[in-house]
Amino acid sequence: MKVMATYNIKGGVGKTSTAVNLAYLSARGGRRTLLWDLDPQAAATYMFRVRPRVKGGGRALVTGRRPIEAALKATDFDNLDLLPADFSYRNMDLEFDDAKKPTRRLGQLLASVADEYDMVFLDCPPSISLVSENVLHASDTLLVPLIPATLSLRTFDQLTRFVADSKGSRPEVVAFFSMADRRKRLHRDVIDGIARDRTRVANTVIPALSIIEQMAERRAPVPAFAPTSRAAQCYEQLWAEVCPR
Amino acid sequence: MAVPVQNLRWPALADALPSGPVGDAIAPVVGIRALVVASDERRRMWQLELCNEDGKTVARVELDEPASVSSVAASPAQLTVRTLRGYDEQARRACSLLVGLGLRAAERGGERESRSASKSSGTDRAVPARVLLTAGLRDSLAAMRENLPGLLDDVDTEFLHDFRVAVRRTRATLKLGRPALPDAMRSRWEPAFKRLGDLTTPVRDLDVYVLDLPTMSHWLVTADPRDLDPLAAHLRALRAAARRPLVASLRSARFGQLVADWEQELNRLAGLPQDGGHVSAGEWADASILRAYRRVVRGGAAIRADSPAVDLHELRKRCKELRYALEVCSPVVARGPRKRAVADLKELQDVLGRLQDCDVQRHALRGFAEEMMTEGTSAAAVLAMGELIGHLDVDQVRARREFDGAFACFAGPSSQRLMHKFGGGR
Repeated sequence: MKVMATYNIKGGVGKTSTAVNLAYLSARGGRRTLLWDLDPQAAATYMFRVRPRVKGGGRALVTGRRPIEAALKATDFDNLDLLPADFSYRNMDLEFDDAKKPTRRLGQLLASVADEYDMVFLDCPPSISLVSENVLHASDTLLVPLIPATLSLRTFDQLTRFVADSKGSRPEVVAFFSMADRRKRLHRDVIDGIARDRTRVANTVIPALSIIEQMAERRAPVPAFAPTSRAAQCYEQLWAEVCPR
Repeated sequence: MAVPVQNLRWPALADALPSGPVGDAIAPVVGIRALVVASDERRRMWQLELCNEDGKTVARVELDEPASVSSVAASPAQLTVRTLRGYDEQARRACSLLVGLGLRAAERGGERESRSASKSSGTDRAVPARVLLTAGLRDSLAAMRENLPGLLDDVDTEFLHDFRVAVRRTRATLKLGRPALPDAMRSRWEPAFKRLGDLTTPVRDLDVYVLDLPTMSHWLVTADPRDLDPLAAHLRALRAAARRPLVASLRSARFGQLVADWEQELNRLAGLPQDGGHVSAGEWADASILRAYRRVVRGGAAIRADSPAVDLHELRKRCKELRYALEVCSPVVARGPRKRAVADLKELQDVLGRLQDCDVQRHALRGFAEEMMTEGTSAAAVLAMGELIGHLDVDQVRARREFDGAFACFAGPSSQRLMHKFGGGR
């Protein structure tokens, strides 16, 4: 089982769109896939038309009072299950803090479904917190969407330092540009100028397209409702670049 | 799930299926058996999705119905409610609604199991042993008939194997049942079934080599697996030659008459009055199992480090007799002890089987090599076969070492107590 987290300290950079579309593509390719919506805003849960509710809330999951298998929901797509978000996830830091190994608990929970899934996606909330530390330890790959802007790169530097300073196993960090607008000179400059020697940056750029915004309206992944669209093709290219071999 | 199987002639082995999830799922289940056409139906599938107010699918309903009204023999239309993970309650409600509409819920699984369970638990221990024996012999005759067409058409190797098992079971039943069966059984039918068994042996032996060849090729250390190709071709030629007299005999009027006479004999046996003064099925079963067990223990105890292979082969035959006794007597002996006895015996049988296979195969490979050399086979093939013989040598020594432990375990006090439990009530 491989774990891939879509993560960024900043919000509104395309984490959820990426998690939803890549999870869909992973499942479509035959991998048994789970998407865990860790963000209490529950956007990924909403896009799969699942109700954002977990019996007992995040506390029941973290304490093990309720096995995560009991909270799983099938999506409308073969091979793709969802562990929905719950508003109580806003307190997940506190729940993890009460656990025995506060930074390892998420990995322990995922281990209980390791036989059931080939691929797990974690859609993370935007922050640096105990949840983030858990995500770092539980993930094989940290997929970081970046809006091509100077402040984004600054935040990305903070993130890479955070990963480098963390103890124990560290995920591979893969950045990619998201919501890019080639008509903007600044976007072009940032994409062309990013230092690719320090970290892995995917070649695929996800453009800012209205069809991606329509995901919330259509409540489905782009390749499901617009399979021939440019956005679907971009996500397919990105998945081809980052999917574990 | 649909799979395109155009241009495929049935019966066929699973590897003839196109690669994909269907082939992947079927291959491990069917193993070396061929897929045969059991029925030919054209079906139409409809899938309906039940959605909640968010438009989320919470259950899937599949309608599977005959594609044309002319399919009178086809199984009837059925609706299946597929539960989606996390939406069990919704699927239950969908089922209730459908039942409420007047649809009849189909039975799931179970039926077959209960049928086989009732088969193995029905005979009264007090009935004459002849009744139990006749039922067992009839089952074996049915198995022979069932497997004969597949054997003649060479659908796969297991039709012959199952046919031989039925013949061996018949022979073992006749032998075990001597005290309870008429003398004619011994004088006429025991030799007849021995001849029938012997007739099938050469092809089965060759089948075993052909089936084992892929495993054997993994034993090679220096030779290339392809070096065994001439051996495979040689075995195929021998098998084709050995099948000709077997098929001719089984298609002959003489064999047809033998089967008809045997059926008549069993009918006559079944029609005999169940008067008193005969040994009961329960008493006969207990005595037969104990006698067969003692023969195994005596035979095993006589085995020494320098005992020839033929003695071990003889012991293996005694083990098979005990196994058949346990099977034939199954309707009148306690299920638990019988299953444990079979499990204990199986370990000993496995070791003896390996011992004999190694011994026989070593000699056979030597014989094949000599035949192939006269046909001008390559040195590489002979050298590869030499490696196989070396491997069998080592395995035989290993199995011989394991024999003492396996036999001690089988003949130990717990096994003895188990064998004496038979007859202790069901």
